[in-house]
Amino acid sequence: MLSNKSISKRELLLLVIAALIGIVVLPCLNAFVPPASFFHVSNFSINIYGKYLCYAVLAIGVNLLWGYTGLLSLGQALFFSLGGYALGMHLMLMIGKLGQYKSDLPDFMVFLEFIKRFPETGGLPPHWIPFRSFWFAAAMVVVVPAVVSFVFGWLAFRSRIKGVYFSILSQALTYAATLMFFRNDFTFGGNNGLTDFKFILGHEINSAATKRGLFIASAVLLLAVYVVCRWLTSTKFGLIQRAIRDSENRVLFSGYATANFKLFVFVLSGIICGLGGALFVPQVGIINPSEMAPDKSLEAVVWCAVGGRGNLLGPILGAVGCNALKSYATHSFAEQWPYILGGLFIFATLFMPKGLIGLPAQLMEIKRKFTRKNGDAAPQTAPADVAFESATKE
Amino acid sequence: MKPYIPKLIAKVMLALAVVSANAAETVKVGVLHSLSGTMAISETSLKDVLLFTFDEINKSGGIKAGGKNYMIEPVIVDPASNWPLFAEKAKQLLEVDNVSVVFGCWTSVSRKSVLPVFEKDNGLLFYPVQYEGEELSKNIFYTAEALNQQAIPAVDYMLAEGKKKFYLLGSDYVYPRTTNKVLKKYLKSKGIPDSDVVEIYTPFGHTDYQTIVAEIKKFAAAGKATVISTLNGDTNVPFFKEFANAGLTSENCPVVSFSISEDEFRGLPAKALVGHLGCWTYFMSIKSPENTKFVKDFQTWLKAPTVTGADYKISGIDGKGRVTCSPMNLSRMGVYLWKQAVEKADSFEVDKVRDALIGQKFKGPAGEVTMQENHHLVNNVFIGETLATGQFKIIKTFKDVAGEPFSEKFLPKQTAAN
Amino acid sequence: MGESCRLEIRNPCSFLFIHAFLVLLHLAAFASFAASPHRTNLVEAVLSEDLARQTDIIKSLVEANDPLIEQALTAWRGGSLYVLETNDTKTPILLDPVTDAEGSAKAIRLIDGEFVKGADGKPLVFAVADLTAADATSKLRKVIKATLDLFALGNPNPAMRRDAVIKLGQEQNPDYLPFFETRQKTEQNLEVVKALSEAVATTQLLSEDESVRLAAIGRLGTMRSINGLNFLQRLETEAKAAPAKYGEKTADALHKSIRDIQDYIQWGNFFGTAFRGLSLAAILLVAALGLAITFGLMGVINMAHGEVIMIGAYSAYVTQNVFAKWFGASGRGFDCYFIAALVVSFVVAGLVGLILERGVIRFLYKRPLESLLATWGVSLVLQQIIRHIFGAANVQVNSPSWLSGSFNVSDVLLGYNRLFVIGFAVFVVLLTYLLLTRTSLGLQIRAVMQNRHMASALGVRTDRVNMMTFAFGSGLAGMAGACLSQIGNVGPALGQYHIVDCFMIVVLGGVGSIVGTVSASLGVGVTNQILEPWLGSVLGKITVLAAIILFLQWRPAGLFVTRSRSLEG
Repeated sequence: MLSNKSISKRELLLLVIAALIGIVVLPCLNAFVPPASFFHVSNFSINIYGKYLCYAVLAIGVNLLWGYTGLLSLGQALFFSLGGYALGMHLMLMIGKLGQYKSDLPDFMVFLEFIKRFPETGGLPPHWIPFRSFWFAAAMVVVVPAVVSFVFGWLAFRSRIKGVYFSILSQALTYAATLMFFRNDFTFGGNNGLTDFKFILGHEINSAATKRGLFIASAVLLLAVYVVCRWLTSTKFGLIQRAIRDSENRVLFSGYATANFKLFVFVLSGIICGLGGALFVPQVGIINPSEMAPDKSLEAVVWCAVGGRGNLLGPILGAVGCNALKSYATHSFAEQWPYILGGLFIFATLFMPKGLIGLPAQLMEIKRKFTRKNGDAAPQTAPADVAFESATKE
Repeated sequence: MKPYIPKLIAKVMLALAVVSANAAETVKVGVLHSLSGTMAISETSLKDVLLFTFDEINKSGGIKAGGKNYMIEPVIVDPASNWPLFAEKAKQLLEVDNVSVVFGCWTSVSRKSVLPVFEKDNGLLFYPVQYEGEELSKNIFYTAEALNQQAIPAVDYMLAEGKKKFYLLGSDYVYPRTTNKVLKKYLKSKGIPDSDVVEIYTPFGHTDYQTIVAEIKKFAAAGKATVISTLNGDTNVPFFKEFANAGLTSENCPVVSFSISEDEFRGLPAKALVGHLGCWTYFMSIKSPENTKFVKDFQTWLKAPTVTGADYKISGIDGKGRVTCSPMNLSRMGVYLWKQAVEKADSFEVDKVRDALIGQKFKGPAGEVTMQENHHLVNNVFIGETLATGQFKIIKTFKDVAGEPFSEKFLPKQTAAN
Repeated sequence: MGESCRLEIRNPCSFLFIHAFLVLLHLAAFASFAASPHRTNLVEAVLSEDLARQTDIIKSLVEANDPLIEQALTAWRGGSLYVLETNDTKTPILLDPVTDAEGSAKAIRLIDGEFVKGADGKPLVFAVADLTAADATSKLRKVIKATLDLFALGNPNPAMRRDAVIKLGQEQNPDYLPFFETRQKTEQNLEVVKALSEAVATTQLLSEDESVRLAAIGRLGTMRSINGLNFLQRLETEAKAAPAKYGEKTADALHKSIRDIQDYIQWGNFFGTAFRGLSLAAILLVAALGLAITFGLMGVINMAHGEVIMIGAYSAYVTQNVFAKWFGASGRGFDCYFIAALVVSFVVAGLVGLILERGVIRFLYKRPLESLLATWGVSLVLQQIIRHIFGAANVQVNSPSWLSGSFNVSDVLLGYNRLFVIGFAVFVVLLTYLLLTRTSLGLQIRAVMQNRHMASALGVRTDRVNMMTFAFGSGLAGMAGACLSQIGNVGPALGQYHIVDCFMIVVLGGVGSIVGTVSASLGVGVTNQILEPWLGSVLGKITVLAAIILFLQWRPAGLFVTRSRSLEG
C-alpha cells in the first residue's frame, strides 16, 4: 500500500521540489523579477495562491477524517473559522487608534457601547484581553478548535454516533455556531465579523512584503501538515484509522477503543483546520460568520472528492484546482459558473470515485479492460466494491 | 505542481485583458456586484443600471480629460456573494485591471471586506445602498442614504402622524441592529418611553413569523402603533403574509420598511403590502423631466442592451417588468458625479478626482444632490405609500437632507447624559 | 352624462360594458345628491385658505350621506383631489378611475358629479402631471381622517366598520359617543356590536361621573377586552397618582378588570402558542416527509431535497399564472388554482425525482455518503436553472381568497393558511401510511428497504421499486413546496432555508420511521414556539439545535429506532 511504506526517495525528491517552488521560487519571482518580465508573479497572484494553500490545509483536515477514518464531517469550516477568529481578534486589537473612532477599542465595540456592558475593563470584553499577546492568540488558534472538537467529538463518539448521523449533527453544530456568531451580543462583531486589520507582528498587513511572508508561511504550514499526516498515516495508528474506516466493528471486536482513535483524529483535524484558518484571515483581511456556514464545509468536502480522497495529494490538488477554477470562472463566466461547478461535482462523484489523483490509474484500468477482453479480467463487482478493493490492495 | 494551474489562469486573464485594451482612448471602470449566490437577487439590477449609465455617457461623447474624450470600458466581475471573494475581486480590479474607479457592493460586510484593499491601493469606490453609517474612508464615496436620510425622517413622519408606540423589527445583522439602536435613542429624545419601544430580531431566512405577528397584534391593540422594519428582502414575504392574515393593515398598524424598494417589490405579495410605507431618496413615481427620461431610456435600453464605444458584450439581462429604484438611481448618480469630478480635475488620478468630487453638484431624477466633505450626499428624502402596482405614492418630502454617517452628530445631545 | 355612457356602451368588449354600467350607476348616485349643500361647503373648504373654517366644514360633513363626498375627502387626504383653474374660476375635481392608454382620465366635478366637458360637449381628459393637487397639511389630513372614520361607521363592509369603530374608540373622544349610540341601535353584525360597546366603554373611562366610569370599567373587564387593557392600565396609574379624585371604588374595579383581562390573555397565550406550535410542526412535517422517505427509507442523502421543494413552489407559481390568464387574477376560478397547483407540483417534482434517481442516484445506493456530494452538485445546478428561467428575483405567489385571513377564536388567531397546512399534513401522513401498509407497492417498498438482496431474490423488481419510492418522496416534497408558497417567499434559494431543518427532523425522529418524523416535527415545532417569546427567535433556534444534538447523545438513533439484526445497520 502506497502510504504504508516510509517515504521513498522519489517521493522525497518531489516533496523537496514542491517545497522549493512554494517557499523559495514563487516568492523570489514576486520580489526580485521586474513586473514587466514574463516570469514575474504579481502581488495579486501571490496573495490568491496563499489563499488556495490555506484552503488546501482545510482540505487535508477534511480528508484526514473522511478519506482515512470514514467520518464525513460537515462542520470542518467551523474549526477553520474558529482559528481565523482567534487570530482575527489579535489583529483587531493591533489596529490601535487607526480605526474610525481613533479609540483603542475595535470600532464595533465603540459603537455598540461595550463600555456600558464591560465598564471595569474600559469596554473590552474580558475574554478579549489576553488576545493582545500574539502568542496567546497563536495558542488559541490551536486550543479553541481543539477544545470544541474534543467536546463535540467526545459526545458524539461516546454514544457511537456514526455515518450519516455524524454528518448531519456536525452540520447542525456549524449551523448553530453561525447563528450564534451572527449575533452582535456575542462580542465577535456580528455579521460583519472582524475586518480592517492594519498590522501583524508589527508589519503593515497589506504591504507586498507581508503578503509574501504570509504566502511563505502558508506554504510552510501546508508542507508541515503534509509531512505530519504522511508520517501519521504510515504508522500503526494510520493502519487502525483505515481499519476503522473499512469496518469499525471488527476493529472494536479486536480490542481497540475505536472511540478514542476517532476522537484523536477529529481533534487533530480540528487543529489542522484552525491553523489553516488562522493564516487565511490575514491574507483575505476578513473573517465573519458566513465562513462557517454549512455550505463552506460542504465545499471543502467536495474539493476532497474532486481531488481524490484517501491519499494526501488529492485534497491539495482538489482545493487548489477548484478554487482556481472558481477564481477564473467568476471573472469570465459569471453567469454559468454554478453549472460548471455543480456539474463537476456530479461527474466526479459518479465517474471518478478516486478523484483527479486516481484518474490515471482509472484510465489505465479501462485501457487494460479493453485490451484484454477475453474473460481473465477481475470478476464482476459493483463499482463501490472495486473502489474498496483497490484501496486495500495497493 | 501546485502553482501551475493558477499561473496558467493568470496568463489567460492577462491575454483577455490585452485583447480588450486595444480600443483607443478608453478608461476602465470596475463593477463589483454579486451576480450569483444569495445577493444576486438585489445586485444584478445595479450592474444593469451601471452598464446603462456607461452607455448613456459614451453615447454623449464620453468623459473629457486632458484634451481627449475617453470612452468608459466596464470590467465586470462576480464576487458571488462571498465576502472574502469580494476582497480578492477588488484587488484584481485595482491591481490587475488597473481600473480608475469601482462601483459596487451591496451589503455592509462586503464593503467592510473591500475597504482595506481600496485604502491600500488608493482606489476609489462608490457605494449606493442605504447603510448604517459609522464609517468614513477617504477612498469610498457613499451616495447611499445614511441613517439620518432614511430612518430618522421616517420616524419623524410617524411621530407627526401621532404614532406613540414603535415596534422595531429587523433581521439579525449589523444594519438593523445599528439602525434600531440609533432609533431607540432618537425616540427617547422625542419623549417616547422605553416601554413603548420594542426591539426584535429574526435570523436570516426566517420563515415563521407567527409569534412575532401575534405580539405585534397585542402591541397594536391600543392603537397609535407602528412597525419599523429592517427585515432583509427574503423574510419580508412570510412576515407580510402573516401580518395581513392576522387582520393587521396599514390602517391599524402601518409598517415602514427600509429595505423594500420598487425592485424588491417584484417578488412580494402585492395585496398584503398596500398602504404600508417606504422611505428613500428616490422613487420611480417621482415626477420630474430627469426621472421621466431616466425611466424611459432605461427601459428602452433593456430591450437591446449595449455599451457604446466599449468592447464589451452583455449577456443575461432580463428585460421583463423592470423598474428603477433608489439604489439604482444612486448608482447612476455616482457615475455622473465621478464623471464631472474627472472633468473638473482634468485627470483620472484618484487623489485629484477625490478633491474635485467634494462640492460636486448633479441634478438627478429626484432633484439636485451635492457631495459633501464627509463623502455623503445632500439629498431629498421622500416617504411613499405602497400601491398595488408595486409603485410608491409620495406623501411627504424632506428637502435637502445632509447625509451624516456618525449618529452622535445628528442625535440630540441630551441623550448622552444617560 | 348620457352622452358619455352611450359612448362607452358602444364598445364591444364585455369587460368595458360592465365597467360602463358601473360608471352609469355611479354617476346616477352622484347626480341624485346634486343639490346637497354639503357639496357646496366642501368646495368652499377645498378652495379656502383658512384652516379653522376648513376644519369646521369638514367636521360638519359627517352628516352628509353622500358617496362622492367620501370619495372626495379620501382623495383630498391622499393628494389626488385636484383644482382646475380656468380663467379665474377654480373648480375642484376628481379624476375618473378609468384611464386611457396615456394614463389620462376624465374629470368629475365635485359640485355636481358631472364630467368636465369641452366646448363640443364631449368630456375632456386630463393627465395627472398637468394638474395641481389641493393642499392638505398634516393637521387637515387628521381632521379629514376622523370624518372619514365616522363615515366608515356606515360602511357596508362589516370588517371596515369594525376597524373604524375600534379606531374611534381609541381616541376616547366623548364627541363620538352619539355616533356610536345611533349605530348600536341598528347594528346587526356581532363583531361590530362588540367593538361598539368596547368603544363606548373605552370612551366612558374618562367620564367624570363615577357610576358611568365604574360601569365602563366593569364592562371592559367582563368583555375581556384586550384592546381596553392599555386604557385601563393608564387609568390605574392616574388613579394611583390622584386617589382623591377617583376614589376607592374605581381603584378596586380597575384592579379586578385588569386582572380578569390579564388572566384571559394568559390563556390566550397558552392556546395561541399551542396552535402556533402545531402549525409550525405541520410545516416542518410537510417539508420533511418527502425526505423521511427518500433518506429515511431509502438511505439516500438527498441534498437536493430543498430544491425539489423549490420546484414544487415554482410549479404552484406557474399554475397560478396559467389560471390568472384563464380566469383573471381573482374570483372563484382563480381561487381554484391552488388545488390544481398541489397536483401539478406533485407531478412535476415527482418527474424531477424520477430523472434524478435514474440519472444520478441509482449509481450511488452502495455509497450513501457520496450521494450527498452528487446531490449537492444537483442542487447547485437546479438553483441556477431556476435563476435562468424565472430570474434571480423572488416571484409573487398570491394566496387564493379562501387561504387569506383568519378565524378569531376568543382572540386567538387561526390563520386559514395555517389551518389548511395542518389539515394537509394530517392528510399526507395518512396517505403515506396507507400507501406503505395497505398496498402491495408499500409491501414491496418495505421489503426492499429492509433487505434488498432478499427481496430481489424473492422476485421483487428492486430497481423499479427504488424508482417509484424516490419519485413518490420527491412528489411529496413538491407538494410541500406548493404549501410553503402560501406562507413564505418563492425564490431560487427557497430550498436552502429548509434543508437543515428537514434533516434534523428526520434524524431526530429516527431514520426510517414515519411515526418518528411526525413526533419529531411536533416536538421541534412546539418547543420552538414556546421558547421564541422568551429567548427571541435567534436564540430560540440555537437552543433547539443544541437540544437536538444533546438529545441524540441520549438516543443516538433518534426517537423511534427501527430494530434490525444487522450489525452495521
